Amino acid sequence: MLELYTSEPNTFFLKPLIALAEKHAAFATHYFDAASLEQFADGVPRDLESSLQLEREGPLLVHDGTLISSSFFMLEYISQALPGASLMPVDAYDAYRARAWGQFLGAHLGSIVPVLGAAKYLFAHLAALDPAMVERRIAAIEPIERRAGWLAVRDGTYSPSYLQAVRERLRAPLARVEATLNGGPWLAGPAFSVADIDAYPMLRVLPDLAPAAVNAQSTPRICEYLGRIAMRDSVREALRTARTAHPERQFVPGIEASRWG
Amino acid sequence: MRAVQPIAPMSVILYHWEPNANSGKPMLTLAEKGVAYESRYLDLLQFDQHKPAYLAVNPDGTIPAMVHGSRVLTESTPMMEYIDDEFPGPPLKPSGAEACWRMRWWMRFFDAYFAPSLSMIGWSIFIGPAARQRPPEELRAAIDRIPLESRRIAWRKALFNEFSAEELAESKRRVLFATRALEQHLSRSSWIAGDTYTLGDINGFNLGYALPLSQPEHCNDTQTPHIMEWLRRIYERPAARETWAKGRTQMVARVKILERHS
Repeated sequence: MLELYTSEPNTFFLKPLIALAEKHAAFATHYFDAASLEQFADGVPRDLESSLQLEREGPLLVHDGTLISSSFFMLEYISQALPGASLMPVDAYDAYRARAWGQFLGAHLGSIVPVLGAAKYLFAHLAALDPAMVERRIAAIEPIERRAGWLAVRDGTYSPSYLQAVRERLRAPLARVEATLNGGPWLAGPAFSVADIDAYPMLRVLPDLAPAAVNAQSTPRICEYLGRIAMRDSVREALRTARTAHPERQFVPGIEASRWG
Repeated sequence: MRAVQPIAPMSVILYHWEPNANSGKPMLTLAEKGVAYESRYLDLLQFDQHKPAYLAVNPDGTIPAMVHGSRVLTESTPMMEYIDDEFPGPPLKPSGAEACWRMRWWMRFFDAYFAPSLSMIGWSIFIGPAARQRPPEELRAAIDRIPLESRRIAWRKALFNEFSAEELAESKRRVLFATRALEQHLSRSSWIAGDTYTLGDINGFNLGYALPLSQPEHCNDTQTPHIMEWLRRIYERPAARETWAKGRTQMVARVKILERHS
């Protein structure tokens, strides 16, 4: 039996929905509102890996009782475990590039996009909830790194200068993606792959969150790429799981920025 | 689209430092697979990795880099998977999607959580003091040549001992936390991905071989018996012996803590 614990189809949560649709896989959905901390309610399964996974908040796939967490590796799991065409590049060097993209964009976009989204949408959302409930749920979060992500949002510690520095950090990953797309339509080899499924959900919100960085003039290849992927049946199907009018406005704190500076 | 290259005539060149952390990952993987490679040793403390000859290979100036024919690989963990995918020899990935997922999950935990905290401590103790033997103006010029801003910041902190007490205390807390998580994991399976030795163990060994020396109060036969046994089993492998024998510094000689004496 295949079950997906998920929230609105955005950022980390959108990735497995696309991969499962590419595989035409049947699965049961357990929906929670991640922006309202419902993933900490009783009934959501946990284990050592799902508690410690570095995205902090994200989807959880349960396959015959086994918990699969961490979204890029979940995509590789879906590619390998489920019937249907592989979503990994065939060539070993293209597979290397897909994995290197997963690592690079995880560290960069995975820690940048959620901060920008939280500042624009999640902060106001949390402020409108019952403060006692928010306090109670955040206080119970383990480990401390996962709790710290929520505290930073709730307490408004994203100052304008901090957000500006975060926006600056977009430059390097966006330049690398744009340069790669100059050489071909997909990130890792001749075909659409897990690298694209991983990158798309983080990139598609940037015209809204960082319009000065992602637009038709500055990043034409990225804009075409977003349009190309949006037309895929799998992406449309994934987005149809939304329960709010604006799934692209639901954010979670995301991956911690490097502690090395 | 690139032309498909014939595999057989392509040579492997590995640019690496000591068999330690990221450099040791492809070194041990190549040794386990029995792949012959041309070794190009870069002295991290002489900043060889930021010199033009190497930047022509890897413009980011990070170590290691592997060149296989016309292919350049610079990310050490995906590089290990490439070596296993591309070359004959004993498989170093487990069979089955679940075990592969578990291997990758733990490699990311090592790379992105455990290693940065452990290396902050290591740099403050070993790399910073060793490099500070040289004149400060020489160090500043060396830092200015580093291409990635994030690496410039890291080197500046290490070379001028700019780690705050709070940062080091937090790193120590994380190392202890991660050590306990790893002990818990290894108490339920003998290897990282289950019942076979894989890339996950190679990765973890490079991270943790010196833990019993650097964290003696937290990593020892009483507190972490499963980690200790796991490290010794890996060190007893011929490929690990061969790889660590290539070490040139006292830092890497710490691996001898894993010799069994009884």
